[in-house]
Amino acid sequence: MILGIETSCDDTCAAVVGADGAIHSNVVASQGLLHSRYGGVVPEIASRRHLELIDAVISDALERADIDLSGVGTVAVTQGPGLIGALLVGVSAAKALAAARSLPLAPVDHLAGHVLASTLGRSPIKPPFLALVASGGHTFIARVDSPPEYRMLGRTLDDAAGEAFDKGARLLGLPYPGGPELDRLAREGDALAFDFPRSLPGSGLDFSFSGLKTALLYTVRDIGPEEAKRRAADLAASYQRAIVDALLGRTREALEQAGAPRRLAIGGGVAANSELRSGAERLAGELGVALWVPPFELCTDNAAMIAGVARFMEPIAYPGYLALDASARAA
Amino acid sequence: MNVLGIDTSTPASAVCVLRADGEEYEVVPSLAELTGPPGHARELMPRVAEVIERSGLSYDELDAVAVGVGPGSFTGLRIGIATARALASAAGIEVRPVSSLHALAEGIDAPVRAPLIDARRGELFAAIVGPKGTLAEPFVAPPEQVAERIRSVDPTALAAGDGSLRFRGLFEAAGVRVADGGSSAHVVRALHVCRLASGVRPVAPEAVVPNYLRAPDARPAST
Ligand SMILES: [Zn+2]
Repeated sequence: MILGIETSCDDTCAAVVGADGAIHSNVVASQGLLHSRYGGVVPEIASRRHLELIDAVISDALERADIDLSGVGTVAVTQGPGLIGALLVGVSAAKALAAARSLPLAPVDHLAGHVLASTLGRSPIKPPFLALVASGGHTFIARVDSPPEYRMLGRTLDDAAGEAFDKGARLLGLPYPGGPELDRLAREGDALAFDFPRSLPGSGLDFSFSGLKTALLYTVRDIGPEEAKRRAADLAASYQRAIVDALLGRTREALEQAGAPRRLAIGGGVAANSELRSGAERLAGELGVALWVPPFELCTDNAAMIAGVARFMEPIAYPGYLALDASARAA
Repeated sequence: MNVLGIDTSTPASAVCVLRADGEEYEVVPSLAELTGPPGHARELMPRVAEVIERSGLSYDELDAVAVGVGPGSFTGLRIGIATARALASAAGIEVRPVSSLHALAEGIDAPVRAPLIDARRGELFAAIVGPKGTLAEPFVAPPEQVAERIRSVDPTALAAGDGSLRFRGLFEAAGVRVADGGSSAHVVRALHVCRLASGVRPVAPEAVVPNYLRAPDARPAST
């Protein structure tokens, strides 16, 4: 069994995953509400909370999997990227747990966790495949041939898609975290009411969302606060459509490239967005591509995906990892 | 009682095993580590493994893990405490939380001692400890106020710690004595964490948190 630990942002997570990819437990203690009053994740508050929660979350994950530490063969932990102070809580706990039992330790790339989330569960995706990952922290398209390796084909040059959702929601006066709120409001609106840019920079597969956010800001300013309030649902629907179009437009290009895999996985918190899900289904159907959309709890940050990546790795034997450090940036 | 002691309240990683038979196996950090960049993630666990090995004990033979809970560097404390808690959980034993300022005071050779830990942003974590106990509970303040407090409590007090090294000129000008520059009194030693542990009530690992003494900066991450 692999014990996974993930503390890269504002969720304290632990999970137990079998070598076959079966998820025996997947515990997430979300700090969302704690940060809502600040309008974003506060690193020092997140780090404090991680430390308060980490032991209970790990015990809970072991208990729900009906094992104790003696049933753990490998400890997997998110090494980065993420908030450094937050990462260090998980890395410190993981190293100490593993060392006390002379267990091997797998330092996992958080992004690989999202990319490979669909390799877990009962009908895992098989390489080669393309993965569209969109969350509050990252947005990119990657190609997987032999996990845990993946090749970044394109990425956002500025904001992440989830950030664009949250910032748009804030401009529309919705509470943080605004992504789900915006999704809900958009269902009541007309997505063709406003024309927002789908900026696709350059000829590659990169994204850009900062112009879109500015366009919404100008539109709200131009029509005035009263009108913006009255037409909030239309604004939300049109804004969301622009984000989803940009994400799926690039995904389509990636899938239409010569030699592209015929399998697509989506992941990251934005994969929970209803319009992105239905749009991805349409796109996959149209191109004859098989689509994997993991359940919601594997899209947002979680430790099962971290333990899942470790299945494809050669973990570091004790005591080789004692000096392991966290890393805020992507490897 | 076989005790593993840890302190990470300053940039130096201090560890020690104090065996039930009184034998000590300690890594005393160098003074240079106090002014260098903190390297707890890279240094703490290798040092823990080293003293455990030197002591001839296994993790299962430990009776307690004692840890300095600050005040001190927030990130440092979290690394030390997360480590101590996980080691204790894995061994099925309890954690004894010790004040890092009191551990620092243990190493100062004077009747009245003023342990001072650099709190950054121009402030210090401070306490004043007399022969019969604490004269001033841990507090955070700018060095001028700390010097004034020490002089008003006991002008003979001897100050030490990375906070006293940083503001030595200010303290001496204010009439507060500071331990010699080369003295190991400036380092929080894990041996002292181990010794103080015997007077502390053990607590469940998950209940041990830092004594931050300062509210967090409530600014969202720039994204
Ligand atoms: Zn993530």
